[in-house]
Amino acid sequence: SLRFFSRGVSMKMLGVKVPRNFRLLEELEEGQKGVGDGTVSWGLEDDEDMTLTRWTGMIIGPARTNYENRIYSLKVECGPKYPEVPPTVRFVTKISMNGINNSNGMVDARSIPILAKWQNSYSIKVVLQELRRLMMSKENMKLPQPPEGQTYSN
Amino acid sequence: MAENSGTDPAVETNIEENAAASATIIKVTVKTPKDKEEIAIAEDSSVAQFKEEISKRFKAKQDQLVLIFAGKILKDGDTLGQHGIKDGLTVHLVIKTAQKSSSGSSQTSASSGPGPSQGNTAETADPSPASNLGTPEGSGPSPTPTQPPNILAGFGDLSGLGNLGMGSANFMELQQQMQRQLMSNPEMLSQIMENPLVQSMMSNPDLMRQMIVFLYSNFNILFLLVKTMELARNPAMMQEMMRNQDRALSNLESIPGGYNALRRMYTDIQEPMFSAAREQFGNNPFSALGGNTDNSGVQPSRTENREPLPNPWGPPDSAATTTTSGTASTTSSTTSSTTPSVSNPLGISSSSLGNGMFNSPGMQSLMQQISENPQLMQNMLSAPYMRTMMQSLSQNPDIASQGPAPAPTPAAGTNTAQQQLMQQMLQMFAGGNASTPTPEVRFQQQLEQLSAMGFINGEANLQALIATGGDINAAIERLLGSQPS
Repeated sequence: SLRFFSRGVSMKMLGVKVPRNFRLLEELEEGQKGVGDGTVSWGLEDDEDMTLTRWTGMIIGPARTNYENRIYSLKVECGPKYPEVPPTVRFVTKISMNGINNSNGMVDARSIPILAKWQNSYSIKVVLQELRRLMMSKENMKLPQPPEGQTYSN
Repeated sequence: MAENSGTDPAVETNIEENAAASATIIKVTVKTPKDKEEIAIAEDSSVAQFKEEISKRFKAKQDQLVLIFAGKILKDGDTLGQHGIKDGLTVHLVIKTAQKSSSGSSQTSASSGPGPSQGNTAETADPSPASNLGTPEGSGPSPTPTQPPNILAGFGDLSGLGNLGMGSANFMELQQQMQRQLMSNPEMLSQIMENPLVQSMMSNPDLMRQMIVFLYSNFNILFLLVKTMELARNPAMMQEMMRNQDRALSNLESIPGGYNALRRMYTDIQEPMFSAAREQFGNNPFSALGGNTDNSGVQPSRTENREPLPNPWGPPDSAATTTTSGTASTTSSTTSSTTPSVSNPLGISSSSLGNGMFNSPGMQSLMQQISENPQLMQNMLSAPYMRTMMQSLSQNPDIASQGPAPAPTPAAGTNTAQQQLMQQMLQMFAGGNASTPTPEVRFQQQLEQLSAMGFINGEANLQALIATGGDINAAIERLLGSQPS
């Protein structure tokens, strides 16, 4: 049988906006199939969440940076207007990185390029991959990091 | 419904007890940034057991292993089933080389591993949603305060979704998934419900059941069809849709390489589609849907159309050849048939729409053909050109960027149940529409009532009535609630 990808595509052909839940179900499936190189992962925070709003994400810190080998846990919230508007993203695991609020882990949408210039073809995966990419940037990779395993306490 | 979700504690213990007995082996891919291995494991194993296997395969110590699935860290005490890990899925592995092994899991407890087992130690977690909600354990992330009531309580966990697109083994699962999806998208739900065809189907539960299975596995194609039929009934919407498509197409053209992609798409998709359609139906039958008997069956050609175009200043009904764009050629026929074109794949002419398209002899004969030979419909749906279309679509970089790897081929197998279903559906379609007068006539009474109530926009009233199948109350709600979006 056909996957949601093709459904979404055929809807695009008709010029119909892909409904939010279609999209999110696609992303859910992708997350379970482990698409990509294995350095990010995402899934529903609560399997029973029928609104498909709250997601957890994981980023594995890239090698040759101060984030190396650490596992960063994030919360991603896809609101009702997603994917027309970007999700809100928050680090749960403490991290020192430009654009991430030091005290609560909130990702500042204005500082992260793809959040600032969001397109509805972006996805949770893209956001996580982008954050990971930014970890490798010169301005971030050498930042001293808090001890491993700490989390923001909100 | 007493169907056990994986979150019911009673079922949970059951699973544990049977852990030794059950032997369904699943193959799970374990991926590190460098490596990938497929590991066979009993599907009701615990994470700890899984890690045992992994440590052997990856030659690493068990406590160096951190497993991640769908954004959650897997704790030793969890089971694979708890996280919805099934055959064919992928789990991410991080091998901790440094001192703090497994720091991700136990230490950060409730916070970084926001899975069901918050703040637990090695005991098996109770993953029931109740404990997840409002856990007063001072866990890091705030539990979902606005958890919607689980309408489908007891209908099984989301792990069923792991089977999305992988075959409709379990009907109940499918139904749940569909319901779940529909429930959470009220727009789509109302759209579907408003379709009078759907309403008449609701009264037949057997058909309903089969329909859902069929729909689910062929959703996008059927969606296209239904959408098209719907459009056919609503000329304004049709034109809107056409405009959107044309706009989208012209956008595509303006992207570098876009024109080529379009041409490619046209030649790859349209040609085989038309010739296949012609083969099967013998001379484009869709052109007959306009209610005229002139089967022009013109070949869409890549060269310029050298025939004289219809006289735009001629008598009104000859100006009805509309909406051909791209490289399709226009026919010189002055009747209201329209050849299929890039943006108008079924060659439906707007002018014929108001005339009860489904009453036309062409449509009737098509219906008859199809119901006599449901294989036809099945073939049409799973025909090679559909596959090509999907493949082409996935190759088109603009579209492919929207999603992951190309879709697998559609289910090509003929299914007797599906055939029967198709037959029934089409009969109902044909039968249901056979004696349908135009909407204005059907809804005359309702229209009068509506205007008496102060809804003076006759056009909007009619649309609302059509959409709700004549239900005044629903139509009123629609009229009151409709917002341009």
